[in-house]
Amino acid sequence: MIIVLHREIVIENRSLGSDIYRLVLKGAVAATARPGQFVHLQVGTTADPLLRRPFSIAGIDRPKGEITLYYRVAGRGTAQLTRVRPAETLSVIGPVGRGFTVPAAGELLLVAGGIGLFPLLALLEAVDRSAVKVKALWGGANRQFMEDVGRETLFQTGVDYAVATMDGSMGHPGVVTDLLKKVLAEKSAHGLAEATACGQGADAASAGGGSGVLADRPGGRTAFTVAACGPRGMLQAVAESCRQAGVPLEVSLEERMACGVGACLGCVCLVRTADGMLVRRRVCKDGPVFDGREVVWDETD
Amino acid sequence: MKPIDLTTQLAGLTLKNPVITASGTYGFGEEYAAFYDPSRLGAITVKGITPLPRRGNPPPRVVETPAGMLNAVGLENPGLEEFLTTCLPRLEKLKTPVIVNISGFSLDDYALMAAAMPEDSCIVAVEVNISCPNIKQGGLAFGTDPRSAEEVLRVTRKHTKLPLIAKLTPNVTDIVTLAKAVANGGADIISLINTLLGMRIDIKTRKPILGNIMGGLSGPAVLPVAVRMVYQVYKAVRLPIIGMGGISTWQDAIEFMLAGASAVSVGTANFVNPLAPVEIIDGLAGYCRQAGFTAVREIVGLAHQ
Ligand SMILES: Cc1cc2nc3c(=O)[nH]c(=O)nc-3n(C[C@H](O)[C@H](O)[C@H](O)COP(=O)(O)OP(=O)(O)OC[C@H]3O[C@@H](n4cnc5c(N)ncnc54)[C@H](O)[C@@H]3O)c2cc1C
Ligand SMILES: Cc1cc2nc3c(=O)[nH]c(=O)nc-3n(C[C@H](O)[C@H](O)[C@H](O)COP(=O)(O)O)c2cc1C
Ligand code: FES
Repeated sequence: MIIVLHREIVIENRSLGSDIYRLVLKGAVAATARPGQFVHLQVGTTADPLLRRPFSIAGIDRPKGEITLYYRVAGRGTAQLTRVRPAETLSVIGPVGRGFTVPAAGELLLVAGGIGLFPLLALLEAVDRSAVKVKALWGGANRQFMEDVGRETLFQTGVDYAVATMDGSMGHPGVVTDLLKKVLAEKSAHGLAEATACGQGADAASAGGGSGVLADRPGGRTAFTVAACGPRGMLQAVAESCRQAGVPLEVSLEERMACGVGACLGCVCLVRTADGMLVRRRVCKDGPVFDGREVVWDETD
Repeated sequence: MKPIDLTTQLAGLTLKNPVITASGTYGFGEEYAAFYDPSRLGAITVKGITPLPRRGNPPPRVVETPAGMLNAVGLENPGLEEFLTTCLPRLEKLKTPVIVNISGFSLDDYALMAAAMPEDSCIVAVEVNISCPNIKQGGLAFGTDPRSAEEVLRVTRKHTKLPLIAKLTPNVTDIVTLAKAVANGGADIISLINTLLGMRIDIKTRKPILGNIMGGLSGPAVLPVAVRMVYQVYKAVRLPIIGMGGISTWQDAIEFMLAGASAVSVGTANFVNPLAPVEIIDGLAGYCRQAGFTAVREIVGLAHQ
């Protein structure tokens, strides 16, 4: 029996600006957490607001036993969370869900929309950058947001990155999927097929650990893969671009949750399996990371 | 110190304690086994089963409300056959009495499912969810019309020897009329309440939040409604009652038992505090000890004296 309910001690809970907070928790979750998993956190102790809130694990420090979360103040629950002080404890269910595949070789492209950056930070941290070439593409509203959030996260990691802002105040004016299209076009010009076939086989890759959704698919650990998180519309566009380019993709989905452990069927998405069947999956337990090629983005189709 | 007797009698069914988990909030029993051994529970009730698999409603399916939540899962379930071949063998391993919740859209549906439930497995009772729309009657819920409700129970009764629990919907004007109807139909036990119909609208998009527009309200917000209905039904009908609706603590459970419930079900509280059911079991014993009762069943209905 794995016990997944913990009380974690708050080490830090601090504003980064732009309504984004950094929350560091010390406890048992760090020992087993993997990139792409999340925690289901109780923000208060009263019946209102009632439900737990899901937050991606953005950083895992096993030696210190700490995880880092970043949250945007979005409503009542997150507003209440800002008032939690260091040394207080929070009730946490986690780590929950199926995370990203951590490649052990080849190239990894991270595509993030806004706060969709957070789960990708954990993946970035987990991947061995001496063996895997990593690049990050990140889109957001404006320079203020990108600097407030990026200063202590992405921009510090030393990873090769490009940004896009909706108002054009930083990086490419427009959406992050423009950047993705550009990268994919360059890839295909330089022979993506060749790169994907360059023989970093599943054996080498499995050393990277993790049970991500691409792990059990032939070709899933090919040399060039994309991992994405962000608003649904953005993810749908990323999936379309990757499909056209024939690039394997993992996406981290968001859905309203109640239990967070797979019991209530509150958080489902629709998936088309390899044999063409339409099936329900629970975002909390079967995800939140899914094979981008399988997700059915529009149920009315 | 003599241990408190927590056993509960529900018609012919004896449970080792009165705490059950509510249908739809506990999957098929496996998820919460990560938190505690489910065999500590009096029983678990599994997600509502229909004859054929159902994909359920599009998301969003849940939304928070003041001290509660709405759900519109739409009875997503693997269907009868898959339940019997895949879920039941796994449930067997939990070593816990199982209550199967069945839902149908016609009388034949209920008959079929009742007949299919083995009488020599971990299944100790069949809970008949009559909140579903009756297709023949133009979609009006079986559970809001006393005659249809009675008929569902009568038909189900004919097809199984297992104890039958009628699960009532609170979305009616007079719960007592419905309780009498299912008693006439042959129910052994009454469970109440199912969720209260509600909805929420997103003021930014100006559209209903739930994919299904409307959903069922549960959680602490519904507790007083549920306590009232348990109280009314206890007074009017001689059948044992499983009380539910917003139970999160042992104090809540005691309140339901004082109103007349012989057992209680914990639903939404599992989502907030996965340990709620076992904490309630411990709390019931503590209350009895403090108040000088030797058996928890002594408190059932005391509020009526
Ligand atoms: C797997 C997963 C990982 C997430 N990771 C992060 C993260 O790392 N950082 C971050 O800032 N946010 C993250 N979110 C979104 C975050 O859970 C919501 O912003 C938060 O629950 C809002 O709570 P609130 O009380 O402030 O808002 P309210 O609007 O008051 O919340 C009301 C209800 O709606 C739910 N809800 C509201 N918005 C969302 C949403 N976007 N997704 C899911 N449920 C929602 C709440 O959980 C709550 O039940 C994640 C969501 C999921 C599903
Ligand atoms: C997500 C969810 C799914 C449910 N599914 C079912 C179901 O399939 N059949 C049923 O009879 N009741 C179902 N219910 C109702 C519960 O069993 C219970 O009657 C109700 O939620 C009130 O109890 P609570 O406030 O403790 O949750 C569901 C409730 C929730 C919250
Ligand atoms: S939130 Fe309950 S199944 Fe995912």
